[in-house]
Amino acid sequence: MSFSRYLVTSPRDLAGAAILLFVALVLPFCGLDDYYANVLVLILIYAGLASSWNLIGGVAGQFSLGHSAFFGIGAYTSTLLYNYAGISPWLGMLAGGVISTILAVAISYSVFRMRGVFFAMATLAVGETIRILLIYSRKFFDLPYSISINFTPGLSNMIFEERTTYALLAGGYLLACVAVTFVLVRSYAGFYLKAIRDNEDAADASGVPIRRYKLIAFLLSAFLTSIGGTLMAQYILYIEPGTVFSVELSVDLPLMAILGGIGTVVGPFIGAAILIPLREILVEQLGGTLSGAHLVIYGFLLIVIVIVLPHGLMGGLSSLREWVGRKRTSGGPARETAP
Amino acid sequence: MLVFVQLVVSGVLLGGVYALAALGLNLIFGVAKVVNFAHGEFLMLGMYAGFWLMTTTGINPYFGAPLIAIVFFGVGLLFYAGLMRFTIYKPELTQVFATLGLGILLQNAALMAWSADYRTLQVMPAGWDSINVLGAFIPTNRLIAFAYSVAILAAVIVFLRTTFIGRAIEAVSQDLMSARLMGIDPNRVFLITFGLGIALTGVAGAVLVPSFYAFPSVGSFFVLASFVVVVLGGLGSVVGTIAGGLVLGLVETTVGYFAPDLKEATHFVLLIGLLTVRPHGLLGIKGAEKETLK
Repeated sequence: MSFSRYLVTSPRDLAGAAILLFVALVLPFCGLDDYYANVLVLILIYAGLASSWNLIGGVAGQFSLGHSAFFGIGAYTSTLLYNYAGISPWLGMLAGGVISTILAVAISYSVFRMRGVFFAMATLAVGETIRILLIYSRKFFDLPYSISINFTPGLSNMIFEERTTYALLAGGYLLACVAVTFVLVRSYAGFYLKAIRDNEDAADASGVPIRRYKLIAFLLSAFLTSIGGTLMAQYILYIEPGTVFSVELSVDLPLMAILGGIGTVVGPFIGAAILIPLREILVEQLGGTLSGAHLVIYGFLLIVIVIVLPHGLMGGLSSLREWVGRKRTSGGPARETAP
Repeated sequence: MLVFVQLVVSGVLLGGVYALAALGLNLIFGVAKVVNFAHGEFLMLGMYAGFWLMTTTGINPYFGAPLIAIVFFGVGLLFYAGLMRFTIYKPELTQVFATLGLGILLQNAALMAWSADYRTLQVMPAGWDSINVLGAFIPTNRLIAFAYSVAILAAVIVFLRTTFIGRAIEAVSQDLMSARLMGIDPNRVFLITFGLGIALTGVAGAVLVPSFYAFPSVGSFFVLASFVVVVLGGLGSVVGTIAGGLVLGLVETTVGYFAPDLKEATHFVLLIGLLTVRPHGLLGIKGAEKETLK
């Protein structure tokens, strides 16, 4: 009985699962050239990150703008452990995840007192504070501003010669993030989180332990975001505070989730699959000649997306289907029904 | 002792600057319950407006401020009519990301138009850069910005309390439904509030440009400082903005004296700490942080 919840699947779920499995496990072997393989790896990592953000931002409805903190901690922990102590990034990845989780617990006491836009402001402040403290700490530790990882391929170093291997790794990460989302959404915790998202006061009055369930979503989100940070560092092999702790990253993740469909299981992947190629094309076409031009377009898109498609492409799809269904049953153009 | 006097003087002057920078944000938040994440970018545009006014026509931004206020009032009307009108009754998520998007757009448009160069103005004649009062060193530009801040804050308070439009704005800020029942058209009030808020932000930028560098991403520094001021002082409270500005100015100056690199971190630590302990701010009304238009 308790497991059947996770097994009942609609054709739509199956289609989503098939697409994800194809992109994560088959597409890397399709002999993509270097350029497309790079885009694929980026899509997969960002899709995983956006899915992780979606756990707290979409499922629980708490718009964090500070996820760069967890991303950066993941990237820095594994890189520092590898470069200075020779510890494998596989372990460093878990260490980063644990540190991010601890940070999430620590800040949860304050940030969970706030709702909506104040939660966003407070988490934004957390992300920025971590970046400033990291730069400040260079006064006491002999730490260069930017850190490169030497290219020594090997499984235990989590550095690979082939992009295919990276794509598989990133694909596995994405599948894990999506699986966590799927299980969470279908579990009681997921129902409680939806209740909290839709009306926190009503959920509280109904006896939902608000803080506990928000914290569960936040911890999962922080841990998975941190893992994504490690993967990105191992892929790019270069980190600096200005990029891994950037506000841009904290804005990108929600944007992908919103574009695809906030709170849905595959929405963040769809958002990443559209935005990453778009960004690559814009940078390529405009980045070299006019600095800033691609970000002007990017900002404009952000505005248009949230106003025209506040529930993302997934939401747009279901309202389209509703509209078509209504048209079919009423036998005429969709009409507003009187209240 | 002298250090102490100097810290207090610098802190108060900086606090006035912060209060002025945050006023437009707080006004718009208080009335329309929208946190404008593009606030810093409007301030940046104000700084460039002050800069270009002086470099092209020779009009000192301190005297040209009324002109900039008029232009930015128009910008604010456009901001509401062209964008915020579509988001104002929508969920907060839409407002946050629409204004964030506008911020990214404006910042990079400025980068395209004016490059990433740091620009500032030399408005004071040589020898008038600073004055010395009882051993405390006071930069003249900061002093003038502070005077502007006090004058504008006073004018805004008088405007809101005495004029018909001002009281309509106050009414909508206190209770949208009742204001509507009294025959106030909230959409017109929102329009005027956005115009006013952006005009104040533009003037703030213009009078700051002689003492701060203008560059396309300067807004991200000021927007966070403004959030802190608004949260410190109380959401929607104009008097609170002054208090919030002064507290932030004094804390930042003191921390900056002992650990200059941590100056910026004080903003965030204050913001998180205060939101935790008193989400409604020092002078704000309890519960204001949970208010939305709906």
